[in-house]
Amino acid sequence: MAIKSSKETAASAAFLAPFMLLFVVFLIFPIFYSFYLSFFGSPTDYSLTNLEFVGLQNYKKIFTDFQFWWSLMVTAFYGVIAIPSGIAASLALAMLLHNKLFGKSFFRSAFFLPNVLDMLVVGVIWTLIYAPKFGALAQITTFFFSEDNFFNTTGLLGHPLTALPAVVLAMVLKGAGFGMVLFLAALQNIPETVYEAADIDGANEWQKFWKITVPLLQPIIVFMCITGVIGALNAFTEIYAMTSGGPQQVVMGETVGSTSVAGYYLYKQFESGNYGYAAAISYMLLIITLGITWLQQRIAERKAPGGAK
Amino acid sequence: MTGQSHGTMSPVRVAIFMVLLAAMISICYVVSGQLFKFAAMVITAFAAGDPVAPAAGPAQTADMMNRLIPVYNGLAIILTIALVMLAVKWYINTRAEERSTFLKKMFLYEALVVGVVVVLFPFFWMLCTSFKPSGQELIINKANPFDIVPSEPTLMNFKKVLKIDEASIAQASQDPIEQKKNFGTYFLNSLLVATTAAFLVTLFASMGAYVFSKKELPYKQQIFMLLLATMMIPGMMFMVPQFFMVCQMGFFGTKWAMFLPHLASVFGIFMLKQFMDTIPNSLLEAAQIDGASEWQVFRVVIIPLAFPIILTLFLLTFLFHWSNFLWQLIVTNFENPLSITLPVGLALFRGQYTSELGLIMSASCFSIVPIAVLFLFAQRYFIEGMTQGAVKE
Repeated sequence: MAIKSSKETAASAAFLAPFMLLFVVFLIFPIFYSFYLSFFGSPTDYSLTNLEFVGLQNYKKIFTDFQFWWSLMVTAFYGVIAIPSGIAASLALAMLLHNKLFGKSFFRSAFFLPNVLDMLVVGVIWTLIYAPKFGALAQITTFFFSEDNFFNTTGLLGHPLTALPAVVLAMVLKGAGFGMVLFLAALQNIPETVYEAADIDGANEWQKFWKITVPLLQPIIVFMCITGVIGALNAFTEIYAMTSGGPQQVVMGETVGSTSVAGYYLYKQFESGNYGYAAAISYMLLIITLGITWLQQRIAERKAPGGAK
Repeated sequence: MTGQSHGTMSPVRVAIFMVLLAAMISICYVVSGQLFKFAAMVITAFAAGDPVAPAAGPAQTADMMNRLIPVYNGLAIILTIALVMLAVKWYINTRAEERSTFLKKMFLYEALVVGVVVVLFPFFWMLCTSFKPSGQELIINKANPFDIVPSEPTLMNFKKVLKIDEASIAQASQDPIEQKKNFGTYFLNSLLVATTAAFLVTLFASMGAYVFSKKELPYKQQIFMLLLATMMIPGMMFMVPQFFMVCQMGFFGTKWAMFLPHLASVFGIFMLKQFMDTIPNSLLEAAQIDGASEWQVFRVVIIPLAFPIILTLFLLTFLFHWSNFLWQLIVTNFENPLSITLPVGLALFRGQYTSELGLIMSASCFSIVPIAVLFLFAQRYFIEGMTQGAVKE
């Protein structure tokens, strides 16, 4: 018996070995390596080996770095507009499709398609749509209004107040099909009898939507909130493609990029060679992410018994 | 029977029907007109052959497009009229008390078509603009603002981004590296990187998932928990240390660097284990009794039974590496065209030709069109695979 079991263990280990090797080397080790790197500054001679040891300097710098805290605020703002509008768009599409329709699967696939396309390319296309002078939006508005309109002179991406919402709009249209499929699956699981009971009680469509449909879809909404938060903290490609963190604006005496989200700020630090500082920032982001996930789970747990009623 | 069905004529309902009908006519005519014109445009652009001089191209295709106007416009008009007749016929044949349901349905379809147009417009515009001759990328046709399909299509943009136009070929002998920096090379690089990565990820993940699902190993549960815990860590976290490791291993600027750190897919293990748990153990035992070795059990029993989910993981991993922009950007050596992938190439290209819409759009096609075609054939795998994790909760 013991021989068979050790043979079994050896076979299991052999099957698991390639994956575990890659996992330990490229996912576990970097967590510690990153911590180690966060005590170093920029390289003294543009190589990766001669990093200057700075101790806790990087962590001290984070707390006084206005640009970093600003980027966290931009990230929060990004999440605050992207998550509700993403949920609303997905839910609207799902409600439209949750009917007996001819060609339902065509519409489902068409809405889902942008999800699988490359984020950078989609971002570039939207940049050209928003671009002043030669973009699609500028030309349409010039045709219907005067040449002197906002879309043609500044462009949505050129103004600090509209740049981030414009990025969000592009991303919502790209991602709406994903949430739609989730909502559709959940809608199909709601038994028809619940609505019939509500009909007998004299509920109108509006009440049925808010009192029955939305509470029963709560797990999907919670899931989309969690992925939305992670998406906002990981946001980089769309910002790189569409605004490069700009347009610049002055807040409290500091020039900051109005769409410079945390992920983009981290990349900028990395690109300028502040490797140690970038590692320290990524540790901060990790702590924030874990904190938010923990908080969300607590809220979801507390809400769950009430929502099930 | 007829008396009953035409009994009550509600003027409000008829008015709503008229409004919906008008909306339907405009939507159908514009959308189908543009689609038919697009088909005619693509055929023209390719049929016009290979006009070497840039000036000769547009004029020649414009002539062909002019002759095709009655065809594509006619088709759009016929389709619209047919749809109107159908709608009116259905409306009249619907019993009075069911007419509001009919109107609701009509509104639904119109809203859905408008939704599809809004969501897919950027990609249609991309395709159209990529066929427009340089300097004519302006979207607006002054006579008809809804007409965005070019009337003088040319393949010049595609030739330029592939560097097979005259000017690039003339330069190629002097600067072969520069000539190699074209979207054909980038496309092949991306294809190679994504395919290799997807193959290795699915191989390693299915071997690992087999152990977690079917085999004995000390501390198996603890290891699995550790794997799942790392899924909580945002990907950005790994950028700096992984970059250092890849550089110190000497992979910087090679194709290996493009995917090596992302080969351990915890998501893949999780997805495959969920599926393998449903495979009955008796099948494995039967194979073992027949004298199959460990590897044979895995290859002959597990792989064929889990094939749909393995294919799903393959496609999703392919997609991930096709669009893995940030990582590929930082490990790219821009001197070496063989290490430039599609998204990185596009970012580089856009920096050089900021306002050349036609060129940027035709470059974008190299990333978008293959994936869209792949999606067309394997949409079930993509949609189910991507949404599976969420539905489980």
